[in-house]
Amino acid sequence: MSVEKRIFKIPVGPQHPALKEFEHFVFTVDGERVIDVGFRIGYTHRGIEKLAESKTYIQNLYLCERICGICSAAHQGCYAQTVEELADITAPPRGTYIRTLIWELERIHSHLLWLGVAAHEIGFDTLFMLVWRDREVVMDLLEMISGNRVNYAMSTIGGVRRDISDELKHKILKGLDILEERTKYYKEVCMKEQTILARAANVGILTREQALKLNAVGPTARASGVDVDLRRDDPYGAYDEVPFNVIVYDTCDVLARVLVRVDETFECINMCRWLLENLPEGDIRTKFARKIAENEVVGRVEAPRGELFYYIKSNGTDKPERLKVRTPTLANILPVCEMLKGGYIADIPIVLAGIDPCFACMDRALFIDENSEKKWVWSREQLRIYSIKWYKEHGNEVVRERWKQ
Amino acid sequence: MLSESLEVEKEIVDDFKKILGADFIDGQVQRKGRVYIKVKTDAYKKAIEHAVEKWNTYHLSTISGVDLGENIELLYHLLDPKAKITITIRTEIPKSDPKIGTVSDILPSALVYEREVYDLLGVIFTGHPDLRRLVLPEDFPEGVHPLRKEWKPEEVK
Repeated sequence: MSVEKRIFKIPVGPQHPALKEFEHFVFTVDGERVIDVGFRIGYTHRGIEKLAESKTYIQNLYLCERICGICSAAHQGCYAQTVEELADITAPPRGTYIRTLIWELERIHSHLLWLGVAAHEIGFDTLFMLVWRDREVVMDLLEMISGNRVNYAMSTIGGVRRDISDELKHKILKGLDILEERTKYYKEVCMKEQTILARAANVGILTREQALKLNAVGPTARASGVDVDLRRDDPYGAYDEVPFNVIVYDTCDVLARVLVRVDETFECINMCRWLLENLPEGDIRTKFARKIAENEVVGRVEAPRGELFYYIKSNGTDKPERLKVRTPTLANILPVCEMLKGGYIADIPIVLAGIDPCFACMDRALFIDENSEKKWVWSREQLRIYSIKWYKEHGNEVVRERWKQ
Repeated sequence: MLSESLEVEKEIVDDFKKILGADFIDGQVQRKGRVYIKVKTDAYKKAIEHAVEKWNTYHLSTISGVDLGENIELLYHLLDPKAKITITIRTEIPKSDPKIGTVSDILPSALVYEREVYDLLGVIFTGHPDLRRLVLPEDFPEGVHPLRKEWKPEEVK
């Protein structure tokens, strides 16, 4: 067969009723190798930026929160602090601390959720179930504080909506001890377990140069040796007071992305403890006048997936003139395309999951053999099963080849 | 805050004034780490190149487009994480002829952001290798861009 005849295009996605969000990829493959990647997004685009222009600043708090279900506190908190800067008011220290605490608890829940998903993608369902069981601890803590498991509605313009009592403080500290102990165990599993090493080490490489050039963000960038964390690099909330380390790994593969997130979970736990022990006394919010004079502000937070960016422009009324949001997954789209190139089809699920995408889905795959006009459709689940089966057959040789590098 | 010194930020504004000359319209230091530079359309690329080379703002956070009525304003938010400084380069283009050159040759991440601005505001980035809609459906009417102020959601009902 000539070279052109061996090359197929595999469209993957966009939708599946069972899973969270939609995304469409076209993989150009030569045998088992991916040589090019195209993407199509927007299946869940609902015009929130346009809608925000017709809602008041207070209404937009709850609109922004619903942009993402997993990092809702990051969205709402980022929006609230950007509007505070716009209106030139400052949240009281206790309010800022509680907001920061929610951000960190949310990061713990998001990273554990991701670890479970990653384990599921490589067929390690025992780990998936264990991690998700222990993630319930942090979900319960968030529910105790805010009354909700997701969409906590804690931040408001000028502070937070609920206080933390001393009794609650003790419960949270107890919960954090359990989480720390469990996370220690998972770190050991991730470093030693052959199932993970075989599927994650040397897979989905994104070099430091590529990460810098394509402006990768968050754990994806930090796993490629880029020392960037907006909590330190563009301080906001209480982050200029809380002591923490920025976790950077330089092996540039999926394993590094796993370890960055696991290590960050420890940092989050320590930060939560510090925040609770040093929680200042006082009010939790200040008053906010509903109208904001003409102004503009660039606001950023380090969401669990990386840099979350807000640009808000006010026009003297109680509604924003323009509200622009850029989520971390959009920034990581070009980097993930680079990671997939040169890899195996069987690595697609774990590499895609590796950036912790918020669209989460490459659900339905349509395989077209252009020459024989054969068509067949794969669901994401079938692709996952294919990848696990393929590794059972080819695993040993592939792993050997990788360790040689 | 009083303790904050804004020397570097002021130096950046002065530097852009010197480099761009007559193309420099306005420079503003909003607070620590936030600099806004307004330039004429012809010089915006030079300004971005200068920001990336001299001030090391290699990270393009995104491109924001704002409908101002007669004009569309584009804001390129550039970040240098080490120096903790965000430089926003802004320029206005007429809505009747919304054309501007691409910056994807300097900053590859602009490939996605330019498509988003094209999709929602109808700005044409000349030289972009693959300028298609990014988030709106394929059957969305040609030449209709929802983030323009004259567009109302009722139009798609």
